[in-house]
Amino acid sequence: MEVWRRAVAVGRRALASPWLRPLNDADALDDLLALANPLWSVRARRARVVRVIDETPDARTFVLRPNRRWGGFVAGQHVCVAIEIDGVRHERAYSLSSRPGEPTIAVTVKRQPGGRVSNFLHDAVRPGHVLALSRAAGRFVVPDPPPTRLLMLSAGSGITPVRSILRDLHARRRATDVVLVHSCRTPQDAIFRDELAALARAWPALRLEFVFTAEAGRLDRGRLARLVPDWAARTTFLCGPVAFMEMVREMWREAGAEGRLRSESFTGPAPAGNPAALATATVTCVRSGAVFAAAPNRPLLVEAERSGLRPRHGCRMGICHTCLCRKVSGTVENLVTGAVSSAPDTMIQLCICAARSDLTLAL
Amino acid sequence: MTSTALPLPRSAAQAIEAELDRLRAEIVADLGAPDAAHIRRMIRLARLSALAGRTLLMLGVDPLTWGVGVTALATAKILENMEIGHNVMHGQYDWMNDPVLCSQTYEWDNVCDGEQWRHSHNVVHHTHTNILGRDRDVGYGFLRVSDAQPWRPHHLFQPAASVLLALLFEWGVGLHDLELDEWLRGRRSSAEVGARLKPFLRKAARQVFKDYVLFPALALGNAPRVLAGNLAANLVRNLWAYVVIFCGHFPDGARTFTTEETREETRGDWYVRQILGSCNIEGGTVLHVLSGHLSHQIEHHLFPDLPAHRYPEIAPRVRALCARYGLPYNTGTLWGQFATVVRRLVRLALPVAPRPAFA
Repeated sequence: MEVWRRAVAVGRRALASPWLRPLNDADALDDLLALANPLWSVRARRARVVRVIDETPDARTFVLRPNRRWGGFVAGQHVCVAIEIDGVRHERAYSLSSRPGEPTIAVTVKRQPGGRVSNFLHDAVRPGHVLALSRAAGRFVVPDPPPTRLLMLSAGSGITPVRSILRDLHARRRATDVVLVHSCRTPQDAIFRDELAALARAWPALRLEFVFTAEAGRLDRGRLARLVPDWAARTTFLCGPVAFMEMVREMWREAGAEGRLRSESFTGPAPAGNPAALATATVTCVRSGAVFAAAPNRPLLVEAERSGLRPRHGCRMGICHTCLCRKVSGTVENLVTGAVSSAPDTMIQLCICAARSDLTLAL
Repeated sequence: MTSTALPLPRSAAQAIEAELDRLRAEIVADLGAPDAAHIRRMIRLARLSALAGRTLLMLGVDPLTWGVGVTALATAKILENMEIGHNVMHGQYDWMNDPVLCSQTYEWDNVCDGEQWRHSHNVVHHTHTNILGRDRDVGYGFLRVSDAQPWRPHHLFQPAASVLLALLFEWGVGLHDLELDEWLRGRRSSAEVGARLKPFLRKAARQVFKDYVLFPALALGNAPRVLAGNLAANLVRNLWAYVVIFCGHFPDGARTFTTEETREETRGDWYVRQILGSCNIEGGTVLHVLSGHLSHQIEHHLFPDLPAHRYPEIAPRVRALCARYGLPYNTGTLWGQFATVVRRLVRLALPVAPRPAFA
């Protein structure tokens, strides 16, 4: 068996050898296959939208039928969806809201004000569209066998991975003792509310607590402790906006219970820097681990060099693209054109871009 | 021929800079799905053309299918090298954020290693265009293409050397970044050349293996036919690329510059240098596409990272700007321009007295 596995690995490597190009050019094969059927691919994970469901006025579920390259997922994981808007590829991570093992998968997307991808998905994506996916990833998953007492804490669209986890636990008869506390603005904003209520009726191990902040105010510590008196003893899964997660983390930390807290960071689009606020920014480099300060009027290349880094570069005037670098997050301004870029995972030219907010670069 | 004195009045250079920056911004703001569709259409066309060509060469037995096969494969290689590879590696499609079209990782169907090309072409040639002693594309280190270059005895052989270069053009391009001429003159150490030799040999070996071993072997009994066909297709691509590229900066009227002249250069002056040093070729859409839009060399040198299929659209405006500021806009038919290049290569082979900077 081991020999066979090794032989397969060697075979695969040989097939991918650059000496066999263009016979093994996966992009070319995929391009030709896509002429016949947009889902066919030797490498790319793609999925066809089969149904679009309105969950709330601003949240939609996209039910997808993935192609054979899709390798499945574990409840609680997320997937990156890539779409092209006006010729530009954008990628966003969304939690899978469906239950593993079904022939279709689903992501549930809330419209973000000013969010390019979420609005495009809402406005332009219909059944029949084909989306490109990454492989499923993330460690926001319930261990197997599951802990006896679970607490799911979610706010807003943070409910999406929680729905997947709850449906999975129920389907696999992993009945333990689960409390879901979900906070959102109004009952109309509660994604999956009816479905979860039905699930709780069919599954006595599940207790639901909805907190509607428009009526009852923000979910605070006192309230949470009243709803779930044994909160500190439960293995807790947390997913929601930054402020909500911070509040919960601090509460757990103070009780010395952070070892039982797992969270999925869930943020809307990165806050756009204000180009008028010309302050020195902090740039974090994910590859080298370096951190440097960047003045608003100097190119990032110059600032990186002043801090002792030596990024690849060429012309230093914006024409040769040698210094092209992936901006993981943050806002930059092109000093030649004045164009401002806030989108995550965007390629920028270090020699003509200056920081307009704190940045994370793949440098 | 117009002899434009440099530097232009400060105000003129500033106005040109502002105007060209605006033109650029206008095109950048307009980039979108049609541009993405264009490059993907070109990629698909090149692939289908290569597939058709290689299939005909492999399965056919008669001279007609051989000729059609060679034409299809040569067209595929020309499209891939010129309209796709050259332009993608310039970063013309980096704005799409598509990893397949990323300038810094794209590798083309050519013996020249992509990384070395990005250095010798995008950085050296496009930044220092036509500056003697800095732009290594002025005569590629062994040809005398400007009166401003001093004559050396080996220039007597340059007509023959040019013919050889035309036939082996991809090899010339591949060797270019090794700077062997600098090594011969003792200005590059053998260690430096050796370090650059490695990626070149790796890439060249793969290309040779593909066209002269892998595909002939797959054709079994038809191997000689496929080998000859691949050789012919590479030759056609070499000759075409040579003609187009020699028409870019070597026709009569193209100006060269000294380091001294460009020392205090502003962005506006840089734009002017690109205009004065580049030459266009007139023709239809097919010629433009097959030249990778290097038929719009002037527009390409002004905006090397704008999608090239936009050059025909902005050319009239660049030409009008040149007319307004009294700058020459060097353009002509393909063979008209090429004839002046040939004449010049022959004339400058002889020790004619150097004329001042502009030829």
